[in-house]
Amino acid sequence: MSRLPKIAVLVALTLILWGYIVGPLVGTFQRSLTGGAPFADYVRFFDFRGGVQGEAMLGSLMISVLSVITSGIVGVFLAVIFQRWDFPLRRVCQVLVLVPIALPPLMGVAAFVKLYGLGGTFPQLLGDFFGTDPNGYAIEGLAGVLLVHTLTMYPYFYLSVSAALEQSDDSLEEAAYGLGATTFQTWNRVILPMLTPAIVSGALLTFMSSMASYTAPLLFNVDYVMTRQIMSADANAEMAFSSVVSVMLAAISIVFLIVLRQWENRTVYRTQSKGGRRKRQRVTNPAMKVVILTVSLVSTIFLILPIAMIFVLAFSVDGSWRTAALPSEYTTRNIVKLFTDSMNWAPIQNSLVMSAIAVCGTVLLGVSCAYVLGRMSFRGKTAFDIAIMLPWALPGTVVAFNLIKSFNVPSVFSFGKVLVGTYAIVPLAYFVRFSPLVFRSTAASLSQLDPSLEEAARSLGSSWWYAFRRITLPLLYPGIAAGALLAFVNGIGEFVATILLHVHPRYRPLSIAIFDEFYRGNFGTAAAWGVVQVVLVLLVVILTQRIQRHGAILKL
Amino acid sequence: MTVLTLEKLTKVFPRAGKVVDSIDLRIQGGEFFTLLGPSGCGKSTILRMVAGFEQPTSGRILFDNRDVTTEPANRRGIGFVFQNYALFPHLSVAENVGFGLRVRKVTGEEANKRVAEALNDVQLTGLGAERVERLSGGQQQRVALARALVIRPSLLLLDEPLSNLDAKLREDTRAMLRTLRSANSPTTVYVTHDQAEAMGMSDRVAVLNQGRIHQVAAPEEIYENPATRFVADFIGRNNVIDATVSAVTDNSATVRFKDGNEITMDPAHKANDVVLTPGSQVGVCIRAESLRLATANGTFSGTVTDVEYAGPVRTCRVRTSVGDLQAEVPSSAGRLVKGQSVRLSVVESALHLVGPQGTA
Repeated sequence: MSRLPKIAVLVALTLILWGYIVGPLVGTFQRSLTGGAPFADYVRFFDFRGGVQGEAMLGSLMISVLSVITSGIVGVFLAVIFQRWDFPLRRVCQVLVLVPIALPPLMGVAAFVKLYGLGGTFPQLLGDFFGTDPNGYAIEGLAGVLLVHTLTMYPYFYLSVSAALEQSDDSLEEAAYGLGATTFQTWNRVILPMLTPAIVSGALLTFMSSMASYTAPLLFNVDYVMTRQIMSADANAEMAFSSVVSVMLAAISIVFLIVLRQWENRTVYRTQSKGGRRKRQRVTNPAMKVVILTVSLVSTIFLILPIAMIFVLAFSVDGSWRTAALPSEYTTRNIVKLFTDSMNWAPIQNSLVMSAIAVCGTVLLGVSCAYVLGRMSFRGKTAFDIAIMLPWALPGTVVAFNLIKSFNVPSVFSFGKVLVGTYAIVPLAYFVRFSPLVFRSTAASLSQLDPSLEEAARSLGSSWWYAFRRITLPLLYPGIAAGALLAFVNGIGEFVATILLHVHPRYRPLSIAIFDEFYRGNFGTAAAWGVVQVVLVLLVVILTQRIQRHGAILKL
Repeated sequence: MTVLTLEKLTKVFPRAGKVVDSIDLRIQGGEFFTLLGPSGCGKSTILRMVAGFEQPTSGRILFDNRDVTTEPANRRGIGFVFQNYALFPHLSVAENVGFGLRVRKVTGEEANKRVAEALNDVQLTGLGAERVERLSGGQQQRVALARALVIRPSLLLLDEPLSNLDAKLREDTRAMLRTLRSANSPTTVYVTHDQAEAMGMSDRVAVLNQGRIHQVAAPEEIYENPATRFVADFIGRNNVIDATVSAVTDNSATVRFKDGNEITMDPAHKANDVVLTPGSQVGVCIRAESLRLATANGTFSGTVTDVEYAGPVRTCRVRTSVGDLQAEVPSSAGRLVKGQSVRLSVVESALHLVGPQGTA
């Protein structure tokens, strides 16, 4: 690209990144300093004696640490079993344990509540069985949040450790055995150290996600977490203090993002020898076979129960679930209504349209940023890189809060209009939140693309634009498509930012509709919408796997 | 046929520093010219600047009399062949070859004919519909060559085109490149670190090190009269031994090695920077093949420390009082074994003087 267009593109991208991503965050930071004496609200935030306000950070940190431990145990355990041993039904189990990825944020947590929470299936079954009060078995509060976190976040560990095990070099282990090491020594000295990078990156991702978690604390009534503090402080008109919590949450997330990126760059143990991947050990001992099979089947079933629950609920008659283990009456009406009743179709259409609008933006921004960072040299590249990845680290609550505070007054970036309360704010939030997905997957594709291909096209006489259109773009297509699809389903499922931003009842998106009906006790109607989300996610996962033969995109 | 002129061409990279240092070079129309040097000497950077992929930090590039220094790559009308082929993976062989024609709006019958001809020239007749990834490495490199030639470039630039190929394919492709040369071939600049490639194909060679040109000459000249100590070390299997000039006359020069041994040689066989006055330091180049096994009164005596059998010759390393010497001994001269004491004599007409240690 020659000089002038290059500068124009850089200026345009900088404006967008500033206007919608960095600027709103900086605005929140400025507001956090407006509460009386400088840093007065920060002092209050760190005063742990001061009741619920001070507890918020401790609560979030505690939940995050516990989530890392529990998800880590489940994820690493499953990865080792499936990568190291071969047994009947292994392949089926391997596919099914990835299903929690398909859980839409809100509907997924709702399914957990209906399974294990007050009046849920398991408490009822146990209560009936022992003839005691079922509510005594219900999982509530902190335990509920941890359960949801564990069963939805273990894939971070499962995927990274599986990949590390798959790439691990057989000959290293053989070398250790050959040097006379015992099995224990080999694991302790060779295999575990090699898995450390995978486990650490899994832990960082889990920690970030737990800090950002909003839906699980909301549905299990845990209010001593930062994501909920932001909104309750705001509702109490404590604007400076809610900004302080936002800033702190963002700061913690950004620190983790930076650590994660550093870590990714530093420690990847790559296989150095050639040859096939390691073979799984066939389990021959019959007792062992039974144990492994039982453990993996039970954990697999446990993991896919929430999805099964959404489907069961979708066929239940609204209001037919009172004090039994499951709803008593079933119908296909909920599903049929989705396509026949305009009231039930409207949220689907709203979400599809909002998400599609956002995806167009994410593709433009994500692809441009990936190309600019991957192929051009200019000053301030690192800042650019951090700016585009920033929303990925920011909890949805913080993104929404930043946008509300930036666009509740006319702004240059909203063309002089107030965006809060309008249709535009929701797609804008999706655009901000999911641009990093397109950016990351495009950047990954671009890093695989040899720069000499473009140079070859240039030397053969094509202009920059022709080479980009005919060579670069077609070759980047799998990465762009995968990122765009991922952004699209994330938009369909988005709840955390949506619930804070959405005010216009005519344009009620899917997750809000689910939330409303769920609280009215209309589980059937809510779950039918949930099924739509699940099916869309599954479709996208399958499509993505087809476009990109490797499941790398799932790591996002 | 384009004459390529480089004037004070310099490239400074932020981290690597001055990679190309004020290069002046004039490459004649139709010439096959090679930039030869170890990796990191700046030869590829020069080629990439000529192509327009890199901007020079200073200096000028001229195609005939046209200054192209700031012209973008797509307006220079060059053909470029990459080390890793850089074939477009989503296009067929014919589409790859035809890419440059399409850009030039050459389409239909004319384009098909030229693509078929180009494939024919590189001995890939009939493979046009094939997907590129189904071809072997050697075939892929020939597609890349056809793609660069089909647009009839005024300048053909080849960046280590053979280094990803195995030994046999390298030789075949070299032979093909030679047969493709004809009266109206484009001016060709070839970059390589392999001296056999450079020697075997070029009209002239430029030997580079650390961004500077050490010698520009025909292959024979470079081999026989290295202009600097670096060239002497880099080309062929050369022993360069430090010595002191002890006597000079009009038609002979005598040098003394550190062990007191002396050799007399032709004073004309020297690099320009060598000062022939008694007492001055020089490096004496003795090619491995100009050392002979001697019976009684050889110049050097020593012990064989290593022998490598290579068919027609044995390459052996001999520890002598002037240092380790490499000698290529015809296999017909009989078996040599490690530990054996040998005497070596020198073919004095093949000796050549370069600057002392530490000179460029």
